Amino acid sequence: MKTLIKAEFKRNYKSLILWTAIIAGLAGLMLFLFPAFENSFEDMEEFIDIYPPEFLEAFGMGEGGLDMTEIYGWFGIEGYLFVTLIGGSYAAILGGSILSKEEDDKTVEFLLSKPISRTKVLFGKVIVVGINLFILNLVVSIVLLIAFSIFAKLNVAVWLLYSFAPLILQAIFASLSLLVSIFVTKSRKVLSIALGLVIGLYVVDLISKLTEEAEFLKYITPYEYVNAPTIVNDHMIKPLYLLLSVLIIGIAIVFTWRLYLKKDIKT
Amino acid sequence: MIKTNELTKYYNKNARGILEVSLDIKEGEIFGFIGPNGAGKSTTVRTLLNLIFPTSGKASVMDLDIVSDSVEIRNNVGYIPSEINYYGEMTGEEFLHYAASFYDCDYLAKMKDLSKRLELDLSRKISELSTGNKKKLAIVESLQHSPKILFLDEPTSGLDPLMQNTFFSIIEEEKKQGTTIFYSSHILSEVQRICDRVAIIKEGRIIKVETIEDIMKARAKKVRVKTDKDFIHEDEDIVNIKKENGYVQFVYTGKIEKLLKLLQDKKIEDLTIIEPSLEEVFMHYYQKEDVK
Repeated sequence: MKTLIKAEFKRNYKSLILWTAIIAGLAGLMLFLFPAFENSFEDMEEFIDIYPPEFLEAFGMGEGGLDMTEIYGWFGIEGYLFVTLIGGSYAAILGGSILSKEEDDKTVEFLLSKPISRTKVLFGKVIVVGINLFILNLVVSIVLLIAFSIFAKLNVAVWLLYSFAPLILQAIFASLSLLVSIFVTKSRKVLSIALGLVIGLYVVDLISKLTEEAEFLKYITPYEYVNAPTIVNDHMIKPLYLLLSVLIIGIAIVFTWRLYLKKDIKT
Repeated sequence: MIKTNELTKYYNKNARGILEVSLDIKEGEIFGFIGPNGAGKSTTVRTLLNLIFPTSGKASVMDLDIVSDSVEIRNNVGYIPSEINYYGEMTGEEFLHYAASFYDCDYLAKMKDLSKRLELDLSRKISELSTGNKKKLAIVESLQHSPKILFLDEPTSGLDPLMQNTFFSIIEEEKKQGTTIFYSSHILSEVQRICDRVAIIKEGRIIKVETIEDIMKARAKKVRVKTDKDFIHEDEDIVNIKKENGYVQFVYTGKIEKLLKLLQDKKIEDLTIIEPSLEEVFMHYYQKEDVK
């Protein structure tokens, strides 16, 4: 399994570097724009008053929401979305392609003729997805650490949550895409479905915040599980959401595993 | 060494798979598996390697069950798939090291020796290799860990005749080492050249398991003669006579001496004797079987 992990990592590291650069770069850009906006917040507040409260709620600026005038709130509104939405896209692409690429390229015929069990193949690949996502968030966490330390007193809990809560969301998208890739082996189709999921659930998240009648929808969107206001104001991820996340990831991986063990490899 | 008992793989109405395939392949034997494209050769091999699951029936390799003990089986197997799809971004050498890393064995000497004999440039990326060179890479890959059993699925396709010869001598050496070889092909002459026994598969079913000698007796040649004399008539060895543009064409299944005698002293302007297609051989062969 070690060699498989090594080879898999080698195959994926270039895209890891690219995605990490984009996500950490955008997050960093927004963070370091903070001083430029800091002085114009008075105007901004007037500006914000024009908008209906539901709208502000949807972007985390409503009551009990985020305070844009300090760096933690600013990042929650202006930078965090990059880590969740783009990071989620990366996770979905990675999770959706790690198995299906081998089937699409038909290299799976080689891999599964080697003395390695399908369980090890699958979990080796899952480990690689986990490591890649961890590295992504680790790099982001360094950017955050620097910015937070410069612009405010470092709040370790908020910093760590901002750094690693997205990992939960990314893991959800990666594991769901992995499950999809068991049924749909064409890489391209898997990726469309996976990205649809990432964007679709973001829209669901917006809708759940915009109207009270649709509030129940928040339970099905990972964006709500790791939302910024809870991180900044309560210094936590809600236990119910944490439990739901673990369940979704666990069930998706177990299903993938059981199905993969019985799957016919097509030529 | 390899046993199948009514092994069946059913895909759906359109893709036939294999039906009740029962085989018993002995240790150290080169067992030919021959049939037209789509007959179920690859399906059989891929089922034995557990790439696909049998619908019914059982099979074992080295007395190990093909489904429950497949990892242990694959630890002793080398496989050349009919279509080579390896990691394009790797060089040949990187790939061979990667492949060998799944086994616990010394492989370097054999890897280098085989690559040299097959004139394979290991420094090139797999995506840049021609079909023939990919096949060579597959040959090295399947043999470098010195497996006890080889599954070869159309191993010579894409190789030029010179390389085919090198390949056959490599296979013969493997046989001397006691390797059991499952050799799937649709080319009768190559099976005839290296196999001990042959199973013929047609539309998913095994129609016959024969020794090469027996198959040879039923060997047919396609003969084409340019002559204006009318001396060729159907008999027990000459069938399927067709005449066109001054040529007479027929399928000949008798002894070569008899054919030469028949053609001797006749006015013949042109003569070709070629291997008939597998279908032609089988068609005739089974017509004969039915008569018996």
